Amino acid sequence: MNDVFLPDIACLADVRDETPDTRTFQLLFRDSKKDFHFFPGQFLELSVFGYGEAPFCIASSPSRPEALETTVRHTGLLTDALHKLGEGDEVGIRGPFGNGFDMEAARGKDLLFVAGGIGLPPLRSLIWNVLDERSCFGNVTILYGARTPTDLVYKEELDDWAKRADVEFHVTVDTASPGWTGTVGVVPSLFNKVTFHPESTLAYVCGPPIMIRIVIQDLLARGFKEDSIISTLERMMQCGVGKCNHCAIGHRYVCRDGPVFNYGQIKELVE
Amino acid sequence: MALAIAKENVARWLEKLLQAGEVVAPVRSSCGDVLFSTITSAEQVVWDFPNSLHPPKELLLPQTDPIVRITRRGQHHEVEPIIDRTRRFLFNVRSCDAKGIAFLTRMQEMEPADASYLRRSNNLTVISLACTTPCQLGFCICTDSGPFLRDSYDAQLTDLGESYLVEVASPKGEAAVAEAQSLFRDATEGEVTQRQKLEDAARRHFGEETCHFASAMRRISTCRVPDALWEKMSDWCLECGGCSVVCPTCYCFSVKDLGCDGTWIRCRVRDSCQYSAFTLEASGHNPRAQRKDRMKRRFFHKVSAQYYKRDGAVGCVGCGRCIKVCLGTTHMPAVVAAIRKGKWHE
Amino acid sequence: MLAVPTACPFCSCGCGLYLLAKDGQLVGVAPSETHLISEGRLCARGWAAHEAARWGDRLRQPLLGRNGKQEPACWDEALDYVVTRLKKLLNAGKPVGVLGSARATNEENYLMGRLARAGLRTNNIDFAYRSVCSPILDGIEEVCGRLPPAIRLNDIAATHVILLAEGNLAETHPRVASFVLRALESGAHLITIGYRKTQMTRLASLHLQLRPGNEGVVINGLLAAMFDLDLKERLSTVIGVEAIRRDLDQVERTNEVRQAAEWIASADRAAFLIAPGCGQSDQRDAATTFAELAAISGHLNRSGSGLLPLVARSNAWGAWDMGIAPDRLPGHDLLDGARSRQRVEDLWGKKLPTAEGLSAEALLQSVSGLIVVADDPPSVMPRRQDAMAAMGRIEFLVALDAFVTPTTRVAHAVLPITSFAETDGTFTNMEGRVQKLRAASNPLAEARTGWQVLAELCARFEAGASYSSVSDVLREVGQAAPRYAGIERKLSKDGWGGAMIETIDSTKFALQPSRTTVMEELTSAERPYLLIRDGTFDWGCDPLICYSPTLSRDYRSEQKLFPTGFVEISQGDASSLKLGAGRRAKLSSVHGDAIVPVLVSRDLEPGVLFVPYGFRDHVSSVLGAHGVAAVSVERG
Repeated sequence: MNDVFLPDIACLADVRDETPDTRTFQLLFRDSKKDFHFFPGQFLELSVFGYGEAPFCIASSPSRPEALETTVRHTGLLTDALHKLGEGDEVGIRGPFGNGFDMEAARGKDLLFVAGGIGLPPLRSLIWNVLDERSCFGNVTILYGARTPTDLVYKEELDDWAKRADVEFHVTVDTASPGWTGTVGVVPSLFNKVTFHPESTLAYVCGPPIMIRIVIQDLLARGFKEDSIISTLERMMQCGVGKCNHCAIGHRYVCRDGPVFNYGQIKELVE
Repeated sequence: MALAIAKENVARWLEKLLQAGEVVAPVRSSCGDVLFSTITSAEQVVWDFPNSLHPPKELLLPQTDPIVRITRRGQHHEVEPIIDRTRRFLFNVRSCDAKGIAFLTRMQEMEPADASYLRRSNNLTVISLACTTPCQLGFCICTDSGPFLRDSYDAQLTDLGESYLVEVASPKGEAAVAEAQSLFRDATEGEVTQRQKLEDAARRHFGEETCHFASAMRRISTCRVPDALWEKMSDWCLECGGCSVVCPTCYCFSVKDLGCDGTWIRCRVRDSCQYSAFTLEASGHNPRAQRKDRMKRRFFHKVSAQYYKRDGAVGCVGCGRCIKVCLGTTHMPAVVAAIRKGKWHE
Repeated sequence: MLAVPTACPFCSCGCGLYLLAKDGQLVGVAPSETHLISEGRLCARGWAAHEAARWGDRLRQPLLGRNGKQEPACWDEALDYVVTRLKKLLNAGKPVGVLGSARATNEENYLMGRLARAGLRTNNIDFAYRSVCSPILDGIEEVCGRLPPAIRLNDIAATHVILLAEGNLAETHPRVASFVLRALESGAHLITIGYRKTQMTRLASLHLQLRPGNEGVVINGLLAAMFDLDLKERLSTVIGVEAIRRDLDQVERTNEVRQAAEWIASADRAAFLIAPGCGQSDQRDAATTFAELAAISGHLNRSGSGLLPLVARSNAWGAWDMGIAPDRLPGHDLLDGARSRQRVEDLWGKKLPTAEGLSAEALLQSVSGLIVVADDPPSVMPRRQDAMAAMGRIEFLVALDAFVTPTTRVAHAVLPITSFAETDGTFTNMEGRVQKLRAASNPLAEARTGWQVLAELCARFEAGASYSSVSDVLREVGQAAPRYAGIERKLSKDGWGGAMIETIDSTKFALQPSRTTVMEELTSAERPYLLIRDGTFDWGCDPLICYSPTLSRDYRSEQKLFPTGFVEISQGDASSLKLGAGRRAKLSSVHGDAIVPVLVSRDLEPGVLFVPYGFRDHVSSVLGAHGVAAVSVERG
C-alpha cells in the first residue's frame, strides 16, 4: 500500500511569468520512470518543503505529457515561497486528484469555454486536449476576460487561438490600458458576439465566483440545460483524497467528487 | 469463543502482553484524572472507572502525528514515510471507544486507504471492557455502541466478579490470549448466561430513554432545520473545538511542515470544522465564515442520512464526552433535542 | 506517552491541562476533570497549547550582535558580554532598566525585580502589558485596596446577576464566558456594558450601550440608581457615601440603569467582570465606579459574589504581585512603604535604590541599557511604532526569550530560555490562585531555564542568592511578599494543588467622589464620527498564538488580506457613506489622517468606527496618543 501523503519529488524545469503576480511552473518528475496519467480538470497537491502543501489545477494537457504545468497566483505564504523558487529547484507532488472533465461526454459536441482571470488554467488543459484531437469535436468557442490586459495569462497562446480558423476566440478586459485595441467589458458581454446552439453545446465556465454566477445565469437564460453547464469548484483542500474534510460540501467532497461539477450538481450541494 | 480468566491471573496476562508489545491502558494520573497511557506494570491499570475524558483514539490519530520526513541534501530533497509498526494492546477500552476506533478505521480504509493509519491500526489489538455499569452521561444505547459490544473488538472482557469472561472475536484477539494461553480456560455455560444477564441489566440502566437521532436526522438531511435555530444555538457555542478533539469519530486534520533548515517533519495535525479558518481559502474567501454554518456542518456530518448511508452509522458513539468538554452548551444531545423540538433554551 | 499536568499559558483564567509528550516531543493536550477551574473544559487556545512550543521559531543558542548581524556564541561568552556591557553603562552613569513579562513565571519575574533593584540598582522596572491593564487594576485598588475580593471563577456559574464590562469575553476569556453561559442557563440576568454588540450582548438580558463621551453618564447613572435603592446595612462597609451621593445627584437614571441596579441589589450572588478597554476615555474611573457599585450593593464581602479584572495574559497578576512596576515591591507593596522596604532590604542584603523609576513607555524612551525578558513590548503597548523605534535607539538591548520576536531580532544580545512547556514555576491567575507549571519536555538545544539564567545574572551583579531549585525561589518569594508566605509548601504536593494568595476578609471600601458625570461631546459637525481603538488584547502578536499552526490561521490571513489594516464601520454608516466591503476610507482627526480599508460590521452602532488593537499602527496618525478620536470619514 502506498502512503497517500508521501509526495514524489519533481523539479521546476521552467518558470514563466504570466502576469505580475502569476507564474507558470513546468514540473519534471525526478524519477523519470514515474507513471503519471491525468485528465484535464484534475489537480495536484504541490509541496513547497517547509511550508506544506496546497492544491493547484493542472494547466497542461494530457495530450502533451512532456510538459506538466501548473499556473499559480501569488496569494499566500505557500505561493509566496513557491514564487521564490526558480528553475532546477525541487518541489513535491501528490496526485493527480479529483474527477476531471468528462472527455467522452464532450465528443461530438460544440464546446463553449468561458474563463475569467486566473480561471483559464484549468480550462487550458481541456482546451489543448480538445484542439489536439480537433476532429472529434464540433464548434469550439473560447471567451476570456481579465481585469486589465496585463492580467491576461498565456498571452502567446491567446494569439495562437485568435489566429486559428477552427476556433472562435474573443477576449475582453474590464479596464483597458494604453495600447489595448480589443473589447472592453465583462465576460458575458462577449456572448452577443457569438452564436451557439444550447441543445448541442457544453459550456465550461471557470473564474471568480461572482463571474461564474453571472455567466451561469446568462447561459440558463439563453437556453442551456443545467447539466450542460460545467464548472470547477474551489475549496480549501488539504489531503486530496476525501479524508481531511476541509473541502466537504454536504456529503460531497470537492477533492474526490469534484472539482468538476455541472450546474445541476452544484445546485444540489448542501453547504 | 468465550474464555474466562481468574481475576488474580490478569496481572500475569498483562505482564505477558507487556513483553509482547506496548500496552496502553487507563491509568490514574497524579491529579486524579483517568488517562489512557502506556503502562509499565499491571498494577497501573484502572479497572473501576466510568471512562477517560481524553479518548484513546489519540493512539491512532494523535493531535500531532508525524507522517513524512523530508530532508534536503544540497539541492535535492529526500522524502520517506515515518513508519510506526509498534505492536500495541489497547487494554480496558470502553465499548463506545472500541466502536469509535472501528469507525475511524473504516474511514481510513476507504480508497485510497491511508497506510500510515492502517499500519498502526493493524498492529493494534483492542481489548475492551464491557460496561456493566453504564456511565452517567453516556447514551451508547441510542447509537448501537454499547454498553456491551457485538463487534468492533478483538477481545471483550466482562467483569463476572471472581473472573473475567473473555470473548475473542479476531485472530488478533486470539494472539493476545495466546501470549498467556495457560491462564485461560473455557467459560462455563453459567458464565455465559451471567454475562447475558449483566448486559440486560446494563441496558435496563438506560431506562425508557429513546433515541432521538431519527427525527433529528430527518430534519438535518432535508435541510429543514431553520437557519434562525442554528443562529440562536451558535451564540451558545464558544468555538473551543473540544467536541472534535474528544469525539471518538472525529478525524478532520490539516497537514503542516514542522522544522527548519532542511529537515522537516510533515505532520498530520488534528483540526476542527468548528474553527473559522477551517474552510478559509488562500484568496480570503470563506464559505463557512459564520459560526452557525460551521455548527450546521458538524451536525450534518454526524447525523445526516447522507452520511449514515455512506458510513453505515451515525458519527456518534454516545460516549457523552462532548457534554463534559463543551465550553458552551451545544453538545450532541442538546443540539439533537433542540432540532427535534425546534426550540433552543426556551 | 507522558501526561504532564500544568497550567495553561494563554489567558489569566488559569485552566489546568495535561501536556502530552512522546519521545520528548509535545504531541497534544488532554483535559482534566479534576481541575477546579477547567472541570474538563478548555478553549481553542488551551487545546492547542502544545503547538507553539513545538512549532515556534525558537531560540536555540545565545546570539551576540557582531559585525551588523547576530552571531551564535557560547553561554559564558554571552553572559560575560552582557554583564560587561551593562556594567560599562552603569559606570558611565547611564540609565538602565528591566522589562518583565505577563507571560513569564512568578519566579522569573521575582528574580528580574531582584536583578533590577539589587543588581542594577535601579527602579526602572516594569512590564509592557501593565500599560494596558493598570488603569483597571488601579481603579479597583482605589476602592478595595491592594487585595480586591475576587469571586472564584467557578462561583460565576451560580450567580444570579452578572455585570460584564466588555471587551469581547467570548474571545478574550472563553472559560469565563463558559461560566456565564452556565449561569444564564439557570436563569441569571446578564447585563453587558460596552461599545459594540458581541456574542455576550446577544445573550444579555440588558445591554447598556456605551459611546465615547457618555461612559460617565451610563456608568455613574448605574451607581446613582443603586444609591436610590434602600441599601440599608450594606453601606456599613463603605466610607465616603455622603460625598459621592452629592456628586451623583444630578446624574440621569434611565429605566435601563434602574432595572440593572434593582437586579444587582436584589441578587444573592452577583459577579462584576471588568475588562480592560471599557470606559476608554477614563478606564480607571470606570473601574473605580464598577468596584463602588459592587461595594455598595453588598457584593464585595459576600461569598459567591465579587469582582474580577479580566486581564488577558496568563501571569499579568503574578507580574503585578512580584512588584514588576517602578513604584512597587514584591507583594505589590509600595516602594516607599518603610516596613516593606526594610523587609526586602533585609532579605536581599542590599539597600534599595531610592530614585524614582520609570514606567515601560518612558523607560523605553530613555534608558541606554535594557533587559527584556519573555516579551515583545512593542506588540503589547498601545503605541507600537513609537516603542519599536525607541527600542532601536537603545545602546545595549538584551533579550531573554524562548521565541524569536521582533524584540529578539533587534537585540544586541539574545539569551535563549525555556518556554512554559520546558520549565517548572508558578503562574497567578486573575482570582489570585497560584498554580504550578511543570516542564513537559527538556530545554531546546542550548536554551536554559529562565529562572537559572536570571539567578546567574543576579549573581554576576552581586545581587545573588543560591537557589538549588525553582522551589527555593518561590520560598524566597514567600519571604519577600507576605501574601505568598507558605505557598511553596502548599504547592509541594502532587496533584493540581493551587493556592490562593491571602486576601483580606473584612475591610472598608473607600468611595471616590468627583468624577465626570456629564455627557462629553467629542464629535463636532466637522468630525462627526468616533474612531475607537479596540481594547481587546491582540493575541495574534503573541508567539504562543502566532507560532501555533492551528491558532494562527485567522490572524495570518487577516494580516495577509489587510496588509494596511482595516477599520470596522456600522452597516448604516457604510451605506450612507457608500463605503462597501473592500472600499477604503479616509479618516481625518485633529492629529492627522490615514486611508484604510473598511470592513462592514453588524455589531457597531452608527457613528463609531473600530480599529482592532493589532491594526492600531495603521491609524496611529489619526488616534494620536489616545484610544479615541473624533474623525471625519470620506471615501478614500
